[in-house]
Amino acid sequence: MADPYGDAAGGPEEEAVRGTAGTSGDDGTELLPRGYRIGGWEVTEPIGAGGWATVYAGRSAGDGAGREAEPEPDGRGGGTPEPDGRGGGTPEPDGRGAVALKVLPTAGLAPRQARKAAETARREVEFGRRSSHPRLIRLLESVILGEPDLPFLDGAVVLVMERAERSLRDLLGAGVTEAEGARLLTEICEGLAHLHRSGWVHGDLKPDNILLMADGSVKLSDFGLATELTGTRGTHGYAPPMGTFDYLPPERWKAPLGEQGVEVRPSADIWALGIMIHEVFAAGAPPFPGATPMARAAATQEYAEGRAPLRLDSAVPRFWRALAADCLAPTHAARAVHTAESLLARIAGRQAAGADRTEERTEAKSAETESTDAESTDAVPAVETAAGDPATPRRRPRRGPRQGLRRGRTRAALAAVAVCAVGAAVWPYAVGGGGSGKPGTSGTSASTGAAAAEGTGRLRVFNAEQSCRSRTDRDPQCSLGLAIDPRRPYTIDNVVPTRVWHGDELTVDCLLPQGIPIIDEADALSAAWYRVRLPRGSARSAAWLPAVRTKDRPRVPECPPSDPA
Amino acid sequence: MSGVVIYLPQGTAGAAGEPHGDAVTLRLGPGEVARFGRGSATCPVELRLDDEAISRLAGEIRVTDDHWQLSNLSTTQSYLVENPEGAGEYLRVPPRRAGAPIPFEFSRVVLPTRRNTTVAFQVFAPDHVYLDPDGMGDQWGSRTVTAYSLDETALYFLVLVALCEPRLRDESPVAVSTTPEIVERLRSHPACGQLTARAVSSHIDYLADEKMRISAPAEHGPRREARRNGKRETIVGLVLRFGLVREEHLALLPPRSGTGTQERGPVR
Repeated sequence: MADPYGDAAGGPEEEAVRGTAGTSGDDGTELLPRGYRIGGWEVTEPIGAGGWATVYAGRSAGDGAGREAEPEPDGRGGGTPEPDGRGGGTPEPDGRGAVALKVLPTAGLAPRQARKAAETARREVEFGRRSSHPRLIRLLESVILGEPDLPFLDGAVVLVMERAERSLRDLLGAGVTEAEGARLLTEICEGLAHLHRSGWVHGDLKPDNILLMADGSVKLSDFGLATELTGTRGTHGYAPPMGTFDYLPPERWKAPLGEQGVEVRPSADIWALGIMIHEVFAAGAPPFPGATPMARAAATQEYAEGRAPLRLDSAVPRFWRALAADCLAPTHAARAVHTAESLLARIAGRQAAGADRTEERTEAKSAETESTDAESTDAVPAVETAAGDPATPRRRPRRGPRQGLRRGRTRAALAAVAVCAVGAAVWPYAVGGGGSGKPGTSGTSASTGAAAAEGTGRLRVFNAEQSCRSRTDRDPQCSLGLAIDPRRPYTIDNVVPTRVWHGDELTVDCLLPQGIPIIDEADALSAAWYRVRLPRGSARSAAWLPAVRTKDRPRVPECPPSDPA
Repeated sequence: MSGVVIYLPQGTAGAAGEPHGDAVTLRLGPGEVARFGRGSATCPVELRLDDEAISRLAGEIRVTDDHWQLSNLSTTQSYLVENPEGAGEYLRVPPRRAGAPIPFEFSRVVLPTRRNTTVAFQVFAPDHVYLDPDGMGDQWGSRTVTAYSLDETALYFLVLVALCEPRLRDESPVAVSTTPEIVERLRSHPACGQLTARAVSSHIDYLADEKMRISAPAEHGPRREARRNGKRETIVGLVLRFGLVREEHLALLPPRSGTGTQERGPVR
């Protein structure tokens, strides 16, 4: 079994810890023998080991000493159970008294490891004492070992915790159904909301630290970096400068190190939640591209600095994609409005609105934030899906010497992102505006799968005027028109009041291959037109965009012969 | 990942003794690019190297992941990238080579000129990641790691250990070595024979500003020396508190002469 206990777990050490009692693992850690007594518990087998700790499966010792082991005031000699927040009753449905014993040696190791372990233990114990919630792994007691004859154990802190079956990490590769993913994430969010409500930040949220109990329920674990919010208004706390690359919010890479450590705020957990939402639905794939954690950290930074858009996998259902995009807002300020509480409310609201809507699955084509969820669009800079039309020029390779040569140090890319942001705010209705008038799209998505369908029916407006492409202010001079009838001359009386700007993303119904030919400012010529949706509330439901006004080639059906909008 | 820092020393590119502008410092974030060369109105560069032998657009630096890439846009000249801390380690980047990855945390990019001189600038890549000693193994990607990683073979680390030595040896709960003391302390180290006081200060600044981004306690007034001391004390406090420098690192320092102090190894 893969070990679910966070950092202490998994990896090559797992083999090493399967040695016999008292032997030394590859990394020099010594192991507890089977049957070894810790307070009222006995070791059954090692589950995993890492640098900080070794985790064993344990059970209540048969002689009934169990949880009633007598506390010894000096914290030495066979173990000192500290009563803390165990509400009585057997916490595990999967067997009487099954526990996980996390052993953090504080002596016999290099001083640095000892310090780390002590600090970890201190935080976990302090946290465990003060919080108890069905969504948090419960710390049953902490024991300090007194083994003067065994230096590697003497003074070690043992955390006795509820035993889980596996971690979310174990689940990710296999893929999770939408309903299951939704349940897991809801429960994670419940735990997080409780944590934040009680004034704590987890600080190291990741699938390895999300545990699944035998009954499938979710519990957050590993509070070694958990930080209590202090500050004048309880807005932040300080944690050791540690974390897991793939789950660190972008601002952490710039965060100064002060005497108490780095500043952490609940928005750091929200970021990690956003990463996990993506991973849950994208078979474990992180939202940021790159082969190594460093590459992904760099990609995260590029996104946060506005040089790259957020591209979420189209496998993530629409509702969750919107949620992930909000959690992954690039700055603390933009993310702070999305509290665990508010996210939970949105999840609950959706469930109340009828979680059984099947359109959620079939409408995988829509790449955008949900129209009915206005709050989700405000802080999202630019959400593109990774499964866009491969011909889209925006999907250029991220790196390559030529690219930057052109771009240099101008802020063009940033500006383009900002334009997209405005587009997203103005066009939320273009997506979900009713189910009618979309001939062929559902058929396409059914036959070619979500990835292909994702490119269908969406395009981005392209302005041939270079100077307009770098503007973010939606200046009227840079606006582009939409025709009422593509077969009539494209004149002032043949345009709708709605204007569009470079970077706007529109929903496309169909393609008219032969309308009035249009030549753009860069002398590109095309007689093709796309019928695009107009925002809800417009006089017309659709209008026509000349094909020269986009570089995208969405795969949409041909429009019926005589069907001006 | 915070990117790289490019530093062009003052007057480096000055031709024939002509005084040239101030030192230039450029910061690039991940994915960002800086072009260098002689530059012109039609061919702007971010880093201007004013020498007639250097092309208008001589090359390009691009930040990639935790390192950077050098493109040599000259058709005839090779560029050298030296590791000033290595024992003569260098890379030759041939003409027209695109995107050569540079593995050094400290680099000196050297461009040839027609005279017997060279033009050079420095590139620092402080994002290089080192695994925690207890964080090895193939699962390191999802491990919790120290977010400030230091190269324990770098000169700056040696300076840091020397800075921390008095406290690590419990000689003084407050003392922090001064720059002259550090120079003296490291003099017999093979890598530090040429170490100057100025270099020591630069290493400390690099550690504080680029590696650890230390938020120094606010100090007012122009008391530069006091501020420096404040910075040192902060660094020492932090690296000891978070275990970035530990007792076992004292072994990196050259033996102390004549004091008879016992070397204390890690408690075992």
